[in-house]
Amino acid sequence: MDSNLAKEILLRYRPGTADADDPEFVEALEQAKLDPELARWFAANQAFHITIRDRFRQLPVPAGLKEGILAGYRPAVIPVWWQQPAFQTLAAAAGIVLLISVALFWSQPREGTDFAAFQSRVVRNAQRGYAMDITTTNLGEIRQYLARQGAHADYVLPAPLEKLPGDGGAILRWRNRTVSMVCFDLGNHNDLFLFVASRADLPEAPSTSEPQFTSIGKLTAASWSRGDRTYVLAGAGDEQFIRRYLSP
Amino acid sequence: MAPNDNDSRLATQQDFELLVSRYYSTLYQFAFSLTRKEDDAVDLTQQTFYTWARKGHQLRDASKVKTWLFTTLYHEFLEKRRRQVRFPHHELSEVNQDLPNIAPATVNELDSDTVLQSLARLDDTFQAPVALFYLEEHSYKEIADILGIPLGTVKSRISRGISQLQRILTHDPGPYSAPRRRPTHG
Repeated sequence: MDSNLAKEILLRYRPGTADADDPEFVEALEQAKLDPELARWFAANQAFHITIRDRFRQLPVPAGLKEGILAGYRPAVIPVWWQQPAFQTLAAAAGIVLLISVALFWSQPREGTDFAAFQSRVVRNAQRGYAMDITTTNLGEIRQYLARQGAHADYVLPAPLEKLPGDGGAILRWRNRTVSMVCFDLGNHNDLFLFVASRADLPEAPSTSEPQFTSIGKLTAASWSRGDRTYVLAGAGDEQFIRRYLSP
Repeated sequence: MAPNDNDSRLATQQDFELLVSRYYSTLYQFAFSLTRKEDDAVDLTQQTFYTWARKGHQLRDASKVKTWLFTTLYHEFLEKRRRQVRFPHHELSEVNQDLPNIAPATVNELDSDTVLQSLARLDDTFQAPVALFYLEEHSYKEIADILGIPLGTVKSRISRGISQLQRILTHDPGPYSAPRRRPTHG
């Protein structure tokens, strides 16, 4: 490593941080030991950093900010009742009911595995509350994550969705089949939810790329198929609202 | 005796208070470095915590709370400014090797106002990376996650931003005297 490259690297060296042991810093620091001029520059540069850092941290925080935040706190209503010990007894009773239901289920003709049931399940899941497996604004990272987990990652996004920041992604299950969920952040705490499934897993799935619309709870859902994949896009708005994200 | 709903809510509120106590100062400082206005920085900081109260339960990895908060704040900032400001894009040369020499006396004379004003004069592209660099709350990888850009780009922008900051503080226009951002027309 020459001194010019070492200088460029050491320009952003922060001692005592998680990055300080990065091999590129170690190598550049070694170079500083060999070059007195570089060593002098490095010492001055570190003094500069310390001063800027300290001045930056001295930025006064407005009085009452913390109290103001706490005063405005409203706990979210999260449907995680199954995690609360108070419901464990109830859960045991529900288990018995479930066993009976399962017995009844198998004694009856099989429930439809049609597309409407799938669409209703995944969209209602988004409304009830869900957990993301990855939270990032980067759509590429979400796709990479889904690919690493063996979920559907070869989906084709409509152009308007490509331009939105992500909110996160998750992998859902439907009839023991994988469904990829990608969330898009519309700002103002609104999300769009895209579900991607294998077309072969969904009898009666839309046969064309022309979207079909339906209302499910408070959301409107558009569904279409393209290649081997079937898509459901859901959001809080009417058909016109959803259409804005399907075509330029 | 199993905790009731009030107990659960109290625990949640205590968690929230702990989170606020731990991060509100640095989040505000980051917000101020972006907005340069106290009121806007306060709004951004408050909004970030309220977003957490509403959506934080979706985060499965508790170790990423801090990065989540900074990411959310930055995202809120971009969202608010998206309709107000055009972000000019400037192709920048590599970091100039002829970096200005900062005399120790000059460094010691710097006060907080001067530093903040100088940070505010940085090109838009550099402001957030340089602010996060000096807050020293995050690794480079975490900064990349917060800003949603590749790690190499983060390193490059930090280097360029520091170089520009040094030139501003030494009154040397240097190679980065790019035009400031302009309001969107119409």
